[in-house]
Amino acid sequence: MSELVRMGANDAGIGVSASPVLEVKDLNIEFLDHSMPETVVYDFDLSLGEGDIVGIVGESGSGKTMSALAICGLLSRKDMKKRGEILFQGKELLTCSRAQMRELQGDDIAIIFQEPMTSLNPVQKIGWQVEEALRIHTEMTARERYERAIWALTEAELPNPEKVYGQYPHELSGGMRQRVMIAAAIVCRPKILVADEPTTALDVTIQAEIIELLRKLNKEYGTAILFISHDLSLVRKLCKQVIVMQDGYVVEQGLTEDIFSHPCKEYTRKLIAAIPNCDEVKEEKDFSGGEIVLEVRDVRASYFTARGVFGKKTEQQVLKGIDFTLHEGEVLGLVGESGCGKSTLAKVILGLNKQYSGQVCCAEGGVQMVFQDPFSSLNPMKTIGWLLEEPLKIKGKFTKEERRDKVLRMLKRVGLEPEMAERFPDQLSGGQRQRVAIGLALMSEPKVLVADEPVSALDVTIQAQILELLQRLKEEMGLAILFISHDLRVVYQLCDNVLIMEQGEIVERGTPAKLYTDHKHPYTGKLLEAAGIDPAMIPRG
Amino acid sequence: MKKKKNLNLIIGGILAGAVLLLIIVGIFWLPYDPDAMNIDLKHAGSSWAHPFGCDNYGRDIFSRVMVGARTTLFVALGTVGIGAGAGILIGAFTGYFGGWFDEVMMRVIDALFAFPSILMALVVISLLGSGKYQVIIALGIAFVPSFARVVRSEYLKQREMDYVKNARIIGCGHLRTMFVHILPNILPVLIPTVMIGFNNAVLAEAGMSYLGIGVQPPDASLGRMLSEAQTFLFSQPLYALYPGLTIVILVLGFSLVADGWKER
Repeated sequence: MSELVRMGANDAGIGVSASPVLEVKDLNIEFLDHSMPETVVYDFDLSLGEGDIVGIVGESGSGKTMSALAICGLLSRKDMKKRGEILFQGKELLTCSRAQMRELQGDDIAIIFQEPMTSLNPVQKIGWQVEEALRIHTEMTARERYERAIWALTEAELPNPEKVYGQYPHELSGGMRQRVMIAAAIVCRPKILVADEPTTALDVTIQAEIIELLRKLNKEYGTAILFISHDLSLVRKLCKQVIVMQDGYVVEQGLTEDIFSHPCKEYTRKLIAAIPNCDEVKEEKDFSGGEIVLEVRDVRASYFTARGVFGKKTEQQVLKGIDFTLHEGEVLGLVGESGCGKSTLAKVILGLNKQYSGQVCCAEGGVQMVFQDPFSSLNPMKTIGWLLEEPLKIKGKFTKEERRDKVLRMLKRVGLEPEMAERFPDQLSGGQRQRVAIGLALMSEPKVLVADEPVSALDVTIQAQILELLQRLKEEMGLAILFISHDLRVVYQLCDNVLIMEQGEIVERGTPAKLYTDHKHPYTGKLLEAAGIDPAMIPRG
Repeated sequence: MKKKKNLNLIIGGILAGAVLLLIIVGIFWLPYDPDAMNIDLKHAGSSWAHPFGCDNYGRDIFSRVMVGARTTLFVALGTVGIGAGAGILIGAFTGYFGGWFDEVMMRVIDALFAFPSILMALVVISLLGSGKYQVIIALGIAFVPSFARVVRSEYLKQREMDYVKNARIIGCGHLRTMFVHILPNILPVLIPTVMIGFNNAVLAEAGMSYLGIGVQPPDASLGRMLSEAQTFLFSQPLYALYPGLTIVILVLGFSLVADGWKER
C-alpha cells in the first residue's frame, strides 16, 4: 500500500527536489506500553525539500502528531518501537545516539506546539527563553546572543522587541506568545520547522497573521515547514503539498490543489465535504411574529480585580450595553474573538453571573447550555444514565420508571444507543460526549439553548454531524439557540441571524447573507477576511 | 508486555490485612484474658503456650497485643473520622464558596496548624481528662486542618470545571453540587490523604499513651504497652518488640496501600 501511495506521490511531484532535507521511509510506530502492542502509525513516508511546506491533515487519533514527534526525536525510546528510516541530510535519526539527536534539536530541527499558554516557561523572561537554544548550540557571547534574540523577535513581528525581551510570558497575549515560540524556534535558523497545530488555540484574525508569518519565514530563509493541522482550509491556504492521514495510515498524498480539486479516496472526499462552506442559498425567515423566548436589554457587566485583600479595586467593563431578542425557533449566532465578552454574556443569561445591570427575560422552561469542551462538561465519576436523570431528579415529579424511560428516549433522540446509559464519560468519543451534553441540556425541555462553541473542540466530520443534530433538534422541538462561535462558516450554515461582538459591544447585526456580502463595520470585514470568506462567493437568495 | 502489578497495593494490603485479621479474631476469641495476672509467669519467655511471652505481671503479651491493636485502631479510626468529616465539611464550604468565610476559616486553620498536634491534644486532655474517648476528640481536632486544606484546594480546582457549572444550570442546589457532583471527583486525592492521616493517628495515639496521657491502665493499647515495657527494656527487650512491631506493620501496610492507590 505504501508503495502505491509513494508512486502516486512521485507523479504528483513530491520528492523531486534534488536532495531532500528530510526523508522518512516506511515509518511505523508501535506502543509497547499496553498489554496489547498497538500500532499508531503505519508505513509513513515523507520527503521534505528545502523550502517545502508540507501539510499533514487528519482527525484526532490519525497519527499525525505521532509522526511529527518521531521526526523531532521527542518520542520515548523505551515505551515505543519504531521501524523505518528518518534521514535528516542523509543522517539516520531513529538509531543515532541521544547526544547526536540533541545537537540537531533546536538547531536544525525546531518545533512549535499548539498551546502557547503552556509551552513557555512561566518563570523565565522571554529573552532568556529565546536565547536558550543559542546557549546550547553556539559559542556566542552574551552580546551576540542578545542581538540574535532581538533579530528573531523582530522577524516574528513582535512589536517593540526590546521590551518583549525583558517581559514574562503572562504579560503577553496568546498570539504574542505564539510569536515568541516562533522566534525561539527560528533563532538558530533551523532547516526544518515542525508546527503542530500552531494556530488552533488562537483567534481567527491572529490565526491568519501567524500563517502569514510562517509563509514569510519560509520564503525568506528557505526553512522547510511541516505543518500539522486538522483544519483543511488552513492547510489549503499555506501548504503546497499535503498528506492525508486516517487511523495511522497515509490515505492520500500529493499537491494540495490536486487533492482538494480531485480527491481520489473516499475519506479525503468526506473530509473536504465536511468543511463548512458558504455556498448554499439561505432563505430568509421572519421570526418577528413568533414568541419571544429570550430578551436581553442593555446588559452591562464589569469585573473587579483587586491587588491583595485590602488593595484598591479596579473595574474592567466587559459588557457595555447588550441588546437583543431571540424568537422561538430562531438560531442566533454570536461571533467574536476571545476576550470580547461572549462567555460573560452567556453566564449572565444562564444566571451564573449575577453581577450585572440591565434586564434578561426568558420564557418559561428556562435556558440550558452546551459547553465547548465535552471532556470537562460531563462529571467523570457518573454514568451517562445518571447524568441524564439528574435534571429529572431535581424536578422530583417523576417515578423511577418514568425517568428511565425519558433517559432512553433522549439517548435515541441525540443519536446514541441505549447501552450508553451504563457507560462513563471517558468510555465515549468526543462526538458522543457532545451528544450526551446536548441531551443533558434538553432533558428539562428548555425553550432556549445557549451553545458556547459546541463544535470547535471536535473533528471536522464529527462537527458536521453535531451541527446536523442541532439543526434537527431545533426543528423537532421548536428550540431557539444562541450559538456562540468564532467560525463564520459554521455560523453561516446554522444561523438565521448573526451578532458581531467586539470588546463588549455588538457592532453589527443582520442575516448572514446580508452581513457577509455587505458589511458596514470594519471589524466584520476583518473577521471575514481572516476566515477567507470572499463576499462575492456568497450566493444572493 | 504484561501490565505491571501494583506491588505497593498488594504488599500493603497483606500487611495491613494481617493486623486487621488479628484484631477481628481478637473481638471474638482471645487465648487468655489480657488482664489476668499470673505471678508464676512473670517475665516468661516465648513458649507454645505464650508465643510472645508474658509481661511483668505475668499477663499474656499476645492477647494484650490483640486487644491493644484493637484500641489503637479504634482511636485511629475515630480520630480520622472526626478529622476527615470536619475537614471535608470545612474544606468543601471554604473551597466552593470562597469569599470572606474562606478567608476567616483559613486563618483559623492556619492558627490550628501552628500548634504541634501533641500539644493541642495535651490542652484538650487537661480540659476533658484522660481516656480513650478524650484522646479521640483531642486528636480529631488536631487532625482537622490537614484534611480541610487538601479538600479545599481540590474544591477550588473542581469548581471551575464545566461539569460543575452544568450541574448548577440544570438546577442543582449548592449542597447537591458540592457533595453529589464534586465529592466523588476528589476521592482519588482524598483516599490516600485519609490513609496517611490514619497512620499519623496510630502513631499519635501510641505517642500519647506512651507519655501516659492517652489510654489509661489497665486498658491495653500498643502505645501504652510500649510505655510499660520501657522499664524492662534491658531485662526483657522482647516485651517492647511485639507491640512496636505491630505498630510498624500496621503503619507500613497503610502507607503502602496509600501509595498504591495513588498509582492506580
